[in-house]
Amino acid sequence: MSKPPLRPGSDEEWEALLHQLRQLPPAQPRPFFYARVRARLAAHPARPAAWYGWLDSVRRPAYVALLGLLGLAMSGDGVVLPPAAPHPASPANRPLAH
Amino acid sequence: MACSLPLPFAFESPAPGVTTSVASADDELLAQLRQGSEAAFRTLVTRYQDRIYRTAFSLLRSAEEAEDVAQEVFVEVYQTVGRFRGAATLSTWLYRLATSRALQHRRRSTAKKRFAYFTSLLGFDNQLLHDLPDHAHPHALLEGQQGLRLLLAHIGRLPSQQQVAFTLRHEQELSYEEIAAVLDTSTAAVESLLFRARQTLRRHLQSPARHV
Repeated sequence: MSKPPLRPGSDEEWEALLHQLRQLPPAQPRPFFYARVRARLAAHPARPAAWYGWLDSVRRPAYVALLGLLGLAMSGDGVVLPPAAPHPASPANRPLAH
Repeated sequence: MACSLPLPFAFESPAPGVTTSVASADDELLAQLRQGSEAAFRTLVTRYQDRIYRTAFSLLRSAEEAEDVAQEVFVEVYQTVGRFRGAATLSTWLYRLATSRALQHRRRSTAKKRFAYFTSLLGFDNQLLHDLPDHAHPHALLEGQQGLRLLLAHIGRLPSQQQVAFTLRHEQELSYEEIAAVLDTSTAAVESLLFRARQTLRRHLQSPARHV
């Protein structure tokens, strides 16, 4: 005699699903996994942490763009700064003697 | 976070004495790895490759990507073991690397798919970026198990933390404490993540429109 179908959404159905999930055939890596890891290690040797580590940021264009904008803002061309008030002591501002 | 997990292995439930010996074996392995022992690295890979691969596979559902992530994890361990301070156990560290790298892969492939979609709208050819069915893998052989297929599809749509917690609990059979250590959170937070994940999944599976 076959089992009656489980009621949709019931606890029994949920438990049956979880049971099926645990009973799935276990996924396994293909044979010679270790050899492939060794090959990958040989292809990508570790880089020592060095002073030029900041160069990694070049891989992130957003950081580069931000740095560029910051550089422009701080470049000192005075465009973004208000004009300085004339210095009273400077020769150009001194009244001409008659 | 300091973790001394009572159950480093996911698929067996060893007696307490066995657990201690497993933990001390891992400590010994770690010490040898720090000294650059090739034999220790081989032992590490042999001991953990299945669990790391399965974790990655559970989160990605692609044999190719799971292989890539598993390789990445062991390469990273080899290259950074000198900097590992031992705040977590070896198995916790490996699971952390596996879950974070798998989620990174998923984000990247989602971005690629979006890019492919937009460029296809502009008329470019993106054949290489389309999903290919993975017929070779056992999970592709789920004919007649529609409920399970739906469940797997909805697990893949859970928020990342919930997905990791659910996968580690129901597929890798890790304890709540182990999952908390991997996610660097409390056991209560894991319970909450699992509760919300189950609720979401049951709601989706109950809804009349059961299409994926």
